[in-house]
Amino acid sequence: MFGVDPAPRRPAPPGSAAEPTGFASPARDYFQGGIDLNRHLISDRTSTFLMRVEGSSMSGAGICDGDELIVDRSLAPRDGSVVVAVVDGELLVRRLRLGGGGPRLEAEPGPGSGPGSRPVSGHQPGPAARRPGDPVPEDFTVWGVATRCLHRL
Amino acid sequence: MFALVDVNNFYVSCERVFDPWLEGRPVVVLSNNDGCVVARSQEAKDLGIATGTPWFQVAPHAAAWGLVARSSNYELYGDLSARVMEVIGRFGAWQEVYSIDESFLGLPEAGEDVLASTAREVRSAVALHVGVPVCVGVAPTKTLAKFANHVAKRNPGLGGVCSLGSLPPGELERIQSRLPATDVWGVGRKSGEKLAALGIGTIAALRAADPLMIRKRFSVVMQRTVLELNGTPCIAPVDERADQQQVMFSRSFSTPVDTAAQMEEVMSVYAQKAAGRLAAKGLRASVVTVSAGTSRFAHGTQSFPSASVPLPVPTDDPIRITRAAVAAMRGRFEPGAAYVRAGVMLSGLGRGGQAEQLDLFSGLAEGEDDADAAAGAPGGGAAGGRAGARPGRAADPTGGVEGLGALLGSVRARFGEAAIGLGQGGLAEPAAWSMKREFSSPKYTTEWSELPRVRA
Repeated sequence: MFGVDPAPRRPAPPGSAAEPTGFASPARDYFQGGIDLNRHLISDRTSTFLMRVEGSSMSGAGICDGDELIVDRSLAPRDGSVVVAVVDGELLVRRLRLGGGGPRLEAEPGPGSGPGSRPVSGHQPGPAARRPGDPVPEDFTVWGVATRCLHRL
Repeated sequence: MFALVDVNNFYVSCERVFDPWLEGRPVVVLSNNDGCVVARSQEAKDLGIATGTPWFQVAPHAAAWGLVARSSNYELYGDLSARVMEVIGRFGAWQEVYSIDESFLGLPEAGEDVLASTAREVRSAVALHVGVPVCVGVAPTKTLAKFANHVAKRNPGLGGVCSLGSLPPGELERIQSRLPATDVWGVGRKSGEKLAALGIGTIAALRAADPLMIRKRFSVVMQRTVLELNGTPCIAPVDERADQQQVMFSRSFSTPVDTAAQMEEVMSVYAQKAAGRLAAKGLRASVVTVSAGTSRFAHGTQSFPSASVPLPVPTDDPIRITRAAVAAMRGRFEPGAAYVRAGVMLSGLGRGGQAEQLDLFSGLAEGEDDADAAAGAPGGGAAGGRAGARPGRAADPTGGVEGLGALLGSVRARFGEAAIGLGQGGLAEPAAWSMKREFSSPKYTTEWSELPRVRA
């Protein structure tokens, strides 16, 4: 099949299969559009949501202020899962612990994000901002399991 | 067997997914321009707030009642609707998306316990995946499935699920002799009055009515309702729908569609059909939702993709709508699956943006509240309302709304997107005042800059 390529032809990089004839590359028929991050990072799109992190109480787990989390509601939370939980009507990211004494949520502040770190700006009516590391009430529900953190370098 | 699955208080339930603080509080969602109440949480219903109540009447009491209002967030509702529909579709032999928050589902014949447990599975799957509550009614006909759903909703003890066959003997008869005939799907207020004059006041009486008499006095449609109440399925898939809440166009294919290119063609044709209906009603849409489904009789992959994309500006432009529909389905197509059905639904309807400005300039501003009240009417009873009632308007060059979308569309197609528009709004983004959404929640799932916040 003859194809007309409207883009200016660039010289082929050395070592690649150059195609000097103007024929469309036969490989093009197999080109699927590159790597689709959705396919690799999201296993079920009906239950997967993105959220933006506010605060630093999980920086020990590599989750920093301003990062985006990929959260899958359909996964079963396990001991040690990083979860988004509903606490007092608010969404909170924490490490879930399912050991003795019942399920609980743990903050994981990194060095330099102890008490006195940047306060959290409340975006909705809710309880007064809790400080990182404060004990979290046992009364919570798991909203979803965080599977990836998108961190800007 | 048929299942009818619908989301409880859909708009409010969507708002609660990302703002759990709203759980347990009275919440209302307002129509376009924050005109009046179109959706209510159970707590708001308990306060006696009726659908269609103008917001200015409720607002003074809001603080005292602890009432929270939200503007319609069509982007959010469209996206969550598509997710809900896809999850529901996984449980059926076929699926018929009936509106933004309801879907019929075909279930294979099975024992009562199997049917009931499938219904419960659907309910918990939607709660798990999307986080909104649904009710499921299961019965041998669509009309009865609707009725079963109604029963599930009214009786909290049933846990949101009702399979008619599992009701204790005599219970069905007892419920049906208590409820008015107008509670039946497809029986409107007018027909209800006419039925009542014939002594047919309850569902039980309608079921017992002579189908031939009903056909003579009413229509073949009402006759079907009677037959369906008696367990004979005779209502075909609802392929088309156009009211103040949504415009839908869907079809079954004569031969299965199994390539992405074919599906793109289907989407393109259906989107244009839907856009045509939209323009004919003088409405603009803000969200395009597409869906498709395979058949259980096909041996290949089962797939029920559903997706929703917001339109940047409310529009009736067939080109924009078609582009959005094609883009929404792209990447959802499952290679190897043979699709037998697809549909395009337009929602977030309103007369905002460009049309509003035209109305303003031509002195034809209309009572928004009427339209909004109609939009909130359950069952879409307002179908064929406003635009159709004004046959003279199409011919009026200053005020004509009908046909304008198509005309604009064809001019844009030839001369480019910005070639023609109405007033100032046509050439640029409409003014910020064009749609008042004072209490809108963020577009949590469709805008990168408005993702839900999670505190760490």
